[in-house]
Amino acid sequence: MDASAGTTDATTASGRLTERDIAALLFVADMYAVQLDQLAAVLRVTQTRARAAALSWRRAGYAETARLGPGLPWLWLTRSGLSACGLPYRAASPALSRLAHLRAVTAVRLALEAAPAYVAAGAFWRGERRLRARAGGRVGLREHIPDAEVHWPDGAPVGFAGECWAIEAELTPKTVARTAAIMHEILARTGDYGCPAGQAQVPGAPPRHARVVYLCSAAARPTVTRARATLPGAAGTVEIRGLPPGADMGEPPRRAGGRTR
Amino acid sequence: MIRRYLGLMVLLAVLRAAGRLARIALATAVVVAAAPVSLMAALAVTLAWRGGWPPRRLYLAALACLPMVAVWLAAVAVTSRSAWQAAGAPYHAWLSSWHQVAAGSAALAATTIAPVAIPLGLAVGGLAWSRRIYAMETGTGGIFPTSPAAFQARQWRHQVRTARARIAAPGSVPLVSRRGAIVAGAVIRASGHRAADLAMIPYERLRSHQVVIGTTGTGKTTLLLRLWAGFLTRGLQLHAAGAGRRPLLVVLDCKGGADSRRVADRVRRVLRGAGARFTAVWPDEASLSLWELPAAQLTTTLLDMIEHGTGAAAYYADVMEAIVALAVGAPGGPPTSAADFLGRLDAGWLGLAYAGPGHGDEAALLRAASRHVTDIALRFRTLFRRLGPGLDGPGSYGDADAWYCILEGTADVAVAESQARALVDLLAHYAAHGSGAGREILLAVDEFSAVSRRLPIWQLYERARSLGLAAQVSAQSWQGLAPDDDDRYRLAATADGGIWLLRTPYPEPVAALAGDQPALDTSRRLLGVPRWGREGSSRVRGEPVADPALIRRLDVGQAAYVYRGGVTFVQVKRLIAVPAALAGPLPAEAAHRAAPLAGSRLADRPAGPGVPDAAGPPSWPKAPAVEVTALLDEAFGPEPG
Repeated sequence: MDASAGTTDATTASGRLTERDIAALLFVADMYAVQLDQLAAVLRVTQTRARAAALSWRRAGYAETARLGPGLPWLWLTRSGLSACGLPYRAASPALSRLAHLRAVTAVRLALEAAPAYVAAGAFWRGERRLRARAGGRVGLREHIPDAEVHWPDGAPVGFAGECWAIEAELTPKTVARTAAIMHEILARTGDYGCPAGQAQVPGAPPRHARVVYLCSAAARPTVTRARATLPGAAGTVEIRGLPPGADMGEPPRRAGGRTR
Repeated sequence: MIRRYLGLMVLLAVLRAAGRLARIALATAVVVAAAPVSLMAALAVTLAWRGGWPPRRLYLAALACLPMVAVWLAAVAVTSRSAWQAAGAPYHAWLSSWHQVAAGSAALAATTIAPVAIPLGLAVGGLAWSRRIYAMETGTGGIFPTSPAAFQARQWRHQVRTARARIAAPGSVPLVSRRGAIVAGAVIRASGHRAADLAMIPYERLRSHQVVIGTTGTGKTTLLLRLWAGFLTRGLQLHAAGAGRRPLLVVLDCKGGADSRRVADRVRRVLRGAGARFTAVWPDEASLSLWELPAAQLTTTLLDMIEHGTGAAAYYADVMEAIVALAVGAPGGPPTSAADFLGRLDAGWLGLAYAGPGHGDEAALLRAASRHVTDIALRFRTLFRRLGPGLDGPGSYGDADAWYCILEGTADVAVAESQARALVDLLAHYAAHGSGAGREILLAVDEFSAVSRRLPIWQLYERARSLGLAAQVSAQSWQGLAPDDDDRYRLAATADGGIWLLRTPYPEPVAALAGDQPALDTSRRLLGVPRWGREGSSRVRGEPVADPALIRRLDVGQAAYVYRGGVTFVQVKRLIAVPAALAGPLPAEAAHRAAPLAGSRLADRPAGPGVPDAAGPPSWPKAPAVEVTALLDEAFGPEPG
């Protein structure tokens, strides 16, 4: 893979990958799969150009595209693409049952990355796929892995510099008890994902996640709110917001400065 | 008589002058008659002079023209339907071109004669250039006695300029060639090695021992980065193709301090671009577990980490060994952490552990040495406090594609020595017994002599060799390579992957390893260009292949690669760590503010929150801190009521 440092919007005519192509490929790899309109938002180009970029990646063998459900086609990386990106993930097409959730999480990431404070702080999105890859086969059957972690570097010009947040996108309501248990598990966790079981929750050690941010659909919001209310002292550490525009299947995403047509 | 003699002398002088004039006239006539070839040869020599090219390059260019000549001759044969016409085509082309020039069509004449003139001109130019170099190397060329020296110095400048131009051209110097060799940069000059445009090091040589010597500020880190990135890239390529084991790079930076951390950050960004999915910076961001060593090895390593005296102190060393062996080999299994180990260094704990049946010998030993247990515990407690948590796990070399280990060899030599000992033991164990047996491991050691008092560098070298690891040792000078000359020569002589010399004040010992090339000293008189007088004598002497004076004058980013009796001077191509930022073009102000971390956005971040950044706290501009609610409101809207 020849990583040209050019600044063209999409893959150049010579078939070489631009810096933005590489960034987008890594983005897609971390998110499992994205829909074409979300890819356009990532590349900051029109859907037509995003489609052309997807086609060139597909020709290069890096990506696969297909219409898996309602709305626009989905794009995900092949084994060759993941290998080219140097990512140890297992290549697989996205499961139909997860499409809505994948789209919602991608929309959350796009919305968060569009915030100037996120950019200025140099925050880092550590998606579920990366967390699972790091954990390898050491994820317990009952262990919950959040949809993502957001790391805020020390010294960043934000009031929460140095913190690590857990991100949860909730589309469908679970039971209050289960949701509260997940909140408690996330907030009580002290070790990284993939660490020895004995270090996952060490009494007295500082918690791994300073807060959990729940992005909920209208249907899931009451359950999450009630679950938070059941946890003592969770009011300041569990943030609840609605899913951003574009999180629903078939709804175009929103990104500041991006062009979506 | 005198008049006749003088007349004869004048006659001879006139004949000589006439002969010389005739030769000049003949040469001029040939040059003019073959004007196209002459012009092409002049152009070729000029280009070779300006670019500092070897004559071989002109010969190759002439050979490359042969297909064009063949096609031209074939076209003539086909159009004229006569092989005889094709054989005479060069002559007819030459004749036609003169007629076309006479008719005022210079461009048409050039086109007509080009298939003949270009290859012939290049070949003649190559011969002339070769002759010129020979004359200068033997000291017989030039107008002034100083001309040969000036010629050599000028050619070096031209070669450097050409090499710099080559590495400046985008895409001209890939990290790995099509054949899988690691490209270090552009060749300035080669002696004893095949002349080529790019300095390509086969991957196998990086799998052998190498030595790098260069003072601070000469581009040593840039060279090392390129070699490391090349090793990882090629290793990953081979691994992906199923033709090799997954590569693992372990760097021991024995200087420490802020500079090492800056280098670590650069290494991580560069290696990320080379395909390393995770680069661990030890001990700042990642840790290793000393306690994964098997009990016997753990005992040895723990003892080696503590400094012992000599003479009467040997008694205490023996006592310490006995106690440590008891603590490590206790029936419950070896310790799993420093706290666990320190907890065992207690006479009561050990007494209980060995109270059971079958441990009579151990209990007796413990009774004899129990009064020293407290002192031994104190020494280890102090050691672990100074070492920090870097060796207390969790973590293993297998967790990352590359490890950059920072040892504070400048600030705290004793601690760094202990750390080096432990890190090398861990790597040896990983390579020999762990999953490291399935990895291609390159151990790069920078300034190891700073911490080599308790782990001789030749021991590291021999050990690496026996384990199948490749070791790459770098130092600022020949003296910094090892504590004494024996070790230095042993290191340099066993560097079968080659030696890299950057600017250094004392390159002679290493330059001598490149061997000599024959050079001729003669006292015979040159009578003319092809004629030498019979008086005098000639003597062949050995001249260093790698000129120490040239190495001493190398500029930043230039290196001499000594390998198998030859040397290649290289202009190293700097690897740029391309920031793979996810966000697109930022507004100017935001981009300025985000710049310090732009390069590491996609690099794997520290495993836990609050872990210090490898490059130290970035200098953030003073800006009002953003609060959580404000950020979430901006990104997702206010919290629903």
